[in-house]
Amino acid sequence: MKNNRQRIAVLLSALALIAAACGTTEPETTESPETTAGTEGTTDTAAPATTVAAAAEPVVVRAAITGGEATLNPYTYVSGFPGWNLMMLQYDALMQFDLNGEPQPWLAETITPSADLTVWELTLAEGVTWHDGMPVTAADVEFTFKYFVDNAAGRFARDLKGVESVVVHGDLGLTVTLSGPNPSFELAVLADVPILPQHVWESIESPTDHAYDISTNIGSGPYMLTGFTEDQSYRFAANPDYFRGAPEVDELVVVVFGDDSGPLAAIRSGEIDVIFERVSPEQIDLLDAQDPIDISQGPEFTTQMINFDTSKAPFSDLAVRQAMALAIDKSTVVDILYLGAATVGSPGWVHPGKTVYNTDVVAQFDPAAANKLLDDAGYLDTDDDGIREFDGGPMEFEMITNSSDSLRLRIAELTAEMLADVGIKVNVASVETATWEQAVWPGFDVNNGRNYDMAAWGWSAPVQANTVRIAELVHGDPGIGFLNLTGFSDPEVDAVAEALAGETDPAVAEALVKELQVLLAERVPFILLAYPDGAYAYNSDVYDGWAFVAGQGIVSKVSLLPESGRP
Amino acid sequence: MKRLNKQKLMQYAIVLFVAVTLNFMLPRVMPGNPLALIAGVDVGLLTPEQRAQIIEDVGLNRPIFVQYLDYWRSIVTGDFGISYRSDRAIVDIISERLPWTLLLTGGALVFSATVGIVTGAWSAWRRGKKSDLSMLTGMIALQSLPSFWLGMLLISIFSVQLGVLPSFGAVAPAADFTGGAYFVDVIKHAALPMLTLSVLSVPGVYLTMRYSMLEVLGEDFIRTARAKGASETRVLFGHVARNAIAPVVTFLAIRFAFSFGGSVIIETVFSYPGLGRLVFDAVSGRDYPVMQAAFLVFTFAVLAANLVADLLYPILDPRTRSD
Amino acid sequence: MVETTRRRRRVRLPQRLGQLGGVIVGSMILVAILAPWLSPYDPAERVGRPFSSPSAEHLLGTNDVGQDLLSELIYGTRVSLTVGIIAAAVALLIGTSIGIIAGYYPKRLGAFLMRGVDVVLILPFLPLLIVLAAYLGRSLTNTILVIGVLIWAAPARIIRSQVISLRSREYVMASQSMGAPDKWVIFRHILPRTALLATGSFVRAVSGAILLEAALSFLGLGDPIQKSWGSILFWAQSRGAFLTPAWKWWVLPPGLAIMLASLGFALIAFAVEERINPKL
Repeated sequence: MKNNRQRIAVLLSALALIAAACGTTEPETTESPETTAGTEGTTDTAAPATTVAAAAEPVVVRAAITGGEATLNPYTYVSGFPGWNLMMLQYDALMQFDLNGEPQPWLAETITPSADLTVWELTLAEGVTWHDGMPVTAADVEFTFKYFVDNAAGRFARDLKGVESVVVHGDLGLTVTLSGPNPSFELAVLADVPILPQHVWESIESPTDHAYDISTNIGSGPYMLTGFTEDQSYRFAANPDYFRGAPEVDELVVVVFGDDSGPLAAIRSGEIDVIFERVSPEQIDLLDAQDPIDISQGPEFTTQMINFDTSKAPFSDLAVRQAMALAIDKSTVVDILYLGAATVGSPGWVHPGKTVYNTDVVAQFDPAAANKLLDDAGYLDTDDDGIREFDGGPMEFEMITNSSDSLRLRIAELTAEMLADVGIKVNVASVETATWEQAVWPGFDVNNGRNYDMAAWGWSAPVQANTVRIAELVHGDPGIGFLNLTGFSDPEVDAVAEALAGETDPAVAEALVKELQVLLAERVPFILLAYPDGAYAYNSDVYDGWAFVAGQGIVSKVSLLPESGRP
Repeated sequence: MKRLNKQKLMQYAIVLFVAVTLNFMLPRVMPGNPLALIAGVDVGLLTPEQRAQIIEDVGLNRPIFVQYLDYWRSIVTGDFGISYRSDRAIVDIISERLPWTLLLTGGALVFSATVGIVTGAWSAWRRGKKSDLSMLTGMIALQSLPSFWLGMLLISIFSVQLGVLPSFGAVAPAADFTGGAYFVDVIKHAALPMLTLSVLSVPGVYLTMRYSMLEVLGEDFIRTARAKGASETRVLFGHVARNAIAPVVTFLAIRFAFSFGGSVIIETVFSYPGLGRLVFDAVSGRDYPVMQAAFLVFTFAVLAANLVADLLYPILDPRTRSD
Repeated sequence: MVETTRRRRRVRLPQRLGQLGGVIVGSMILVAILAPWLSPYDPAERVGRPFSSPSAEHLLGTNDVGQDLLSELIYGTRVSLTVGIIAAAVALLIGTSIGIIAGYYPKRLGAFLMRGVDVVLILPFLPLLIVLAAYLGRSLTNTILVIGVLIWAAPARIIRSQVISLRSREYVMASQSMGAPDKWVIFRHILPRTALLATGSFVRAVSGAILLEAALSFLGLGDPIQKSWGSILFWAQSRGAFLTPAWKWWVLPPGLAIMLASLGFALIAFAVEERINPKL
């Protein structure tokens, strides 16, 4: 009896007994009434017949995210994903991405650009109201555009930079004039910028340090934020008067977890119904095997890549960059680290799933050719230690990666291994996320240069989604190439990228993009390893209407609207 | 008591001053800046003018000395400003989080104190016998357990395999329990993290109590008392234990303060919304104001614990009373 | 007669615990030294399919990139023991020096130093770790330094207490009255007599340092490229192993190893402390 172990056993069993005795009272998760998921053509209007059946209980979905999102309004949301997505459940943009990732008319019912794509005529949909009942008018749109530019604190200001003037015609008409032609106006602006209610935001003078509360979160979107405990949980209620139809899920509760494993445990134990983060590759099969969890998986536009400072030796030498690209086997990365749940990276940047992808541009793996390139360029291993030399010293470099992403750390290790095979020694350093960001992108301003040799990096989906934005990644002029973290500068590439940015004829644009891809594959501004798939786990018994938007995943209003209301 | 007040308080004041200054300097020393937190991950799309505007709005461009004085002002007035990340008053954030950490550490304190004192006393009484030794070995073994490992194992067993206890959070999500049901829900969620913390705190208390008891047991007056006869055993036990308790209380007080820091790991493993996890997130994200405020809470906790221990010790240990 | 045999038996048992500790530590050191011969594979090499369960080729299965877990476990002994011992040595060096000085001059210098000790103890542990890790960069050396800097305070306190009492002994008084310089008194009389206590503190510090290193590595603050037991658990947690059956062979063994190593040193420390203070 006096044995310590026995004591603990008694204690544990007592606890277990208490827990069991208190009953496994889990919150009510009712079956979702069999909705239109999977059945095309049910011609229901916005009020589905199922609600007539008196016993229809509210559909409540509990979602998991990792990382708090502050107060989830357009100025406070924290992450590009899923922060922007959750914020956009409360707000509408003028256009909305459909399942193919193409923007479709949304708040703006008609969109008519001029031939040179500088003047855009918009007409808003009728009968759209804010959550507090006030009508959505063109004045709100005008206000929004001006407000974001005047109070810049995020991507919307940049999106709207080219807008020269906005003229309102009555309640629903708008003419937007740009300072220059913008072929990606729909993608980058109309489908991205949330429209703010003027009557709420006009009294907020300083949005970057305003003390927000829930009263600010008035939008026009399908969900209203009804309560939140900052960085812990957020509750959304469906907006029954939504102009595209009442949403399928009545209540959405978003729970914040501290790390990746919490949501996995929670969905398996039934405490969570969907995870609003990408499931990592090794969990996909495991989760799928467990009833009633299903996985919605598809290609996405996020990228995993290796950056290096092309402004300094030896990375300034094209031969070295090409050799490195040849030495890294991207399909091994996909197989070993992603267990197949990724698309092999294209050296031309553009995702193979896009229509403008140049099929001639394919990833190459040829260590022998890599070795030859390096030999010919004069990088020899003179002291026979397995490491080549350059400029009197060994070809030994540091590759930094952010400590919070363990998969990226493994990627860094793997690529270091492969580069060692061609005589380049890479030491992987795992550093704090902020440190890593500051080294690669000091002050988030490419004018500040860069402080690293090599880095494992990645861009989120929107960068890839809009092909016109390639210029931002590779242009030598920091004003245009503000996402050019490798210091890459090539006049030929610049010329094609610039031409692409202003090209209004889609056929010509396509030819330019394809040409650009060939150039990039040849000049190697960075090494694109893979496009990880998006895999999202959900409990199909609770709700299974999740729709995978190509390149972006399931977290959007599209998943939650009735079939008839989807774009 | 008067001696205690002046000298000790003076020393604590110095410690406080140094600690506060260090707390202020620490976040400044770390590389990286909190700009990312103000505008989220889309910061890269800001122009330099926009960035400068934000830095000025939140006061990062003022001279260090001004920021330092401001820090003292905020401590004195209890105004810790607004978190860059969430634009909320930090006092609110901390007062939201602190109770959960107190729940865990307080519960662990009570549990480990009770178990540790009882087993420690009992073990000292049976010193040298097999039961004492196996208990001793068991406790030393327990002390060597990594806390996060124990937490992970408990999750694997109780949450994943058996499914009887939740593995995350302080309360069930999407649930609106009230009254009794809420209480039960809180207990269910606190059970595993509290258990982990407690189990790992018991050995320390046990060893301190045991050692302290043995010290007292060897005293002359105990020996003579014992020689008087077994019928006084119970009185002796009470007497011995009472004398032995003082160092244990000191130990507990210090231990309580440190368990704040130790709860960082536990709260991370169990996704528990307490102060520990807040600190870790704030440090990783360089949220200066939140970090500073949390540091302060820790500092006060340790100083308060020291103070309490110093005050309690003479009361508990009659030998050190200055009268 | 009965008294003496009982006392002898009492005395022997803590020592036996110490011996047990010695055996554990000894075998671990052996494993660390003989790692290249004992380990079936090179732990840095990808030798199997990722996430495979235990089999004849891989007794503990493979990790998330296909490295052999048993090999990682064996090599992990090296890192964990090295960090533990060296960090504890650093801590002891600092702690003993400060402890002796503070004990020998308890009035002003000592009080000042002890306030310094208090400040070190007050500084928030985890954020301090992150500062140092981020500022210095993650490497084995920095992990050792960081841990050493954190744990010297406790030995300092203990040593100081002892030195205070030693200071008033006759031989010290005698030397001082004969005009011996302080440094000589310290080295000749004080230092040797703290040896036993210092040893106990050292061994106890190793026990704690091993746990600290594991915690650091687990939080991703150590160097995850190094194959320490803590880092095996780091990857286990990052890749969700403890939610799957893999916890039996991926989570259980490294944790047990950490526990055993820490326990071994703790038992030795216990035996040493018992020698110092036989009442235990």
